[in-house]
Amino acid sequence: MRMTLYHGEPNGPSLTVLATLFAKEVQAELVRIDLESGQRHTLPCAQEPLVAMSVEGEGAVLVVAGEAMTDSVFIACYLDDVGPGAALRPADPYGRWETMHWCRQMTERTAPAAAYLGCWAHPPKADAALLERIGSVDLRARWQQIAAGKFSADHLTDSRTKIHQATEKIEARLDGRQWLMGRFSIADIETYAWLAGMVRLVPAAFAAKPRTTAWLERVRTSPAVAQALALSRTGEPAASWSVGPEINRWG
Amino acid sequence: MLCNTYKMTVGPMHSVTLYHWEPNANSGKPMLALMEKGVAFESHYLDLLKFDQHQPDYLAINPQGTIPAMLHGERVLTESTAIMEYVNEEFPGPRLMPEDPRDRWRVRWWMKLMDQWLGPSFSMIGWKVFVGPAVSSRDPGELQAAIERIPLPERRVAWRKAIYGQFTEEELKESQRRVALGIRMLEQELANRPWLASNQYSLADINGFNLAYALPLSQPALSNDELTPNILRWLRAIYARPATKACWALGRTNLVKRVTVLEQPHSGGGG
Repeated sequence: MRMTLYHGEPNGPSLTVLATLFAKEVQAELVRIDLESGQRHTLPCAQEPLVAMSVEGEGAVLVVAGEAMTDSVFIACYLDDVGPGAALRPADPYGRWETMHWCRQMTERTAPAAAYLGCWAHPPKADAALLERIGSVDLRARWQQIAAGKFSADHLTDSRTKIHQATEKIEARLDGRQWLMGRFSIADIETYAWLAGMVRLVPAAFAAKPRTTAWLERVRTSPAVAQALALSRTGEPAASWSVGPEINRWG
Repeated sequence: MLCNTYKMTVGPMHSVTLYHWEPNANSGKPMLALMEKGVAFESHYLDLLKFDQHQPDYLAINPQGTIPAMLHGERVLTESTAIMEYVNEEFPGPRLMPEDPRDRWRVRWWMKLMDQWLGPSFSMIGWKVFVGPAVSSRDPGELQAAIERIPLPERRVAWRKAIYGQFTEEELKESQRRVALGIRMLEQELANRPWLASNQYSLADINGFNLAYALPLSQPALSNDELTPNILRWLRAIYARPATKACWALGRTNLVKRVTVLEQPHSGGGG
């Protein structure tokens, strides 16, 4: 089946989808877009509801048989289903629940924090005309805040706490394990994709966590992730950020 | 904490226990999925309005104090959407995920939009009109102590806002904007196919029904037979299923009795 993957620098959601694509040995036309300047909103599919309203924010888009798919974890599940490469989720329902549960915590708690800190340190830049094209009102508002350099001290503090919570969880999970779900999985790829850039921004969260440090290196050098990282044009993919998921509005 | 056993057609190898509140929002998702699969489960009703979910006996099961939680043998499962996928894969019975991998992607996409973007807006409004008023007449000291016992800081903030009516106009306006847009998106998607995310009944429909079953009552100007015929067709089709009827019969409050609105044609309030 003919597929086209629109992706940015191999970090965050783009890294998840690229690494999964390579691990699953799926053939797709790779098209580079500049997520940091909002170029996703110039794609022909940009105004389709399932693209415009993706909860993930600025992420990769996989077009399969004319349908544009967003949200990296679910694209990864799709690729896991269709690709011939080794399975990226456990076979048993409990292991699959653990994987989906883990990824949900990652996308809901860690990803908004990482994207906020990432955009604070490496602000994406979209011009005013492009901001006008953004279909989602709340995504556009997040872009505007970042463009204006408005970062809330509370959100920055809370985001750092969330990164600490994530690495504590990873360190505990890796007790007796090489990979988060026992074998290399979507959970490793997704978790690495959001946290790789946090090592420099929140170093204290990674200090004295030998298992997490070793795991980061293990994921980075795994064949599919290494292949995805090699696509970097900046040489520093973990410093490339665009607007991510919303920080919880309440509760 | 009351405990009842609902015997249905298939007995799993290990017993299933579900800790839940009303068949509504997150609690209703695994309840309805289990009933659609025909899985017998022991029902532990937790009264959200009495803060049963923050009592030590429940925190021993789910330290985060969120509802629902499911026990299957020795396993403890949380996160209602992930539980539904587990229920679908672990037990025999009708398949609640489509065969086609792209359809499965669409099911998950919609569930995420409802869980993380649309649902919180519905529940902010719901908490303001139902949950807050239902508990705010209690003894102030007792309420304060109840809030202090909530394990997750985010949930403490949410409860405080609901109990003391602290949602700002701006927050409520933004939630109402999302609800209106979400209704338009659902209507548009349901014009494409019989069910929300694929041509077969799936977890996305179970999730969506828990979110939207009372729409013609809660948002009559935005969702009715004239404006959103496909949403009404879809809600009525789900309500007509025996599992849905059995599930909603487990409700104990007026909240879930709103489901009977689906028994009548519904036109917009004055519009």
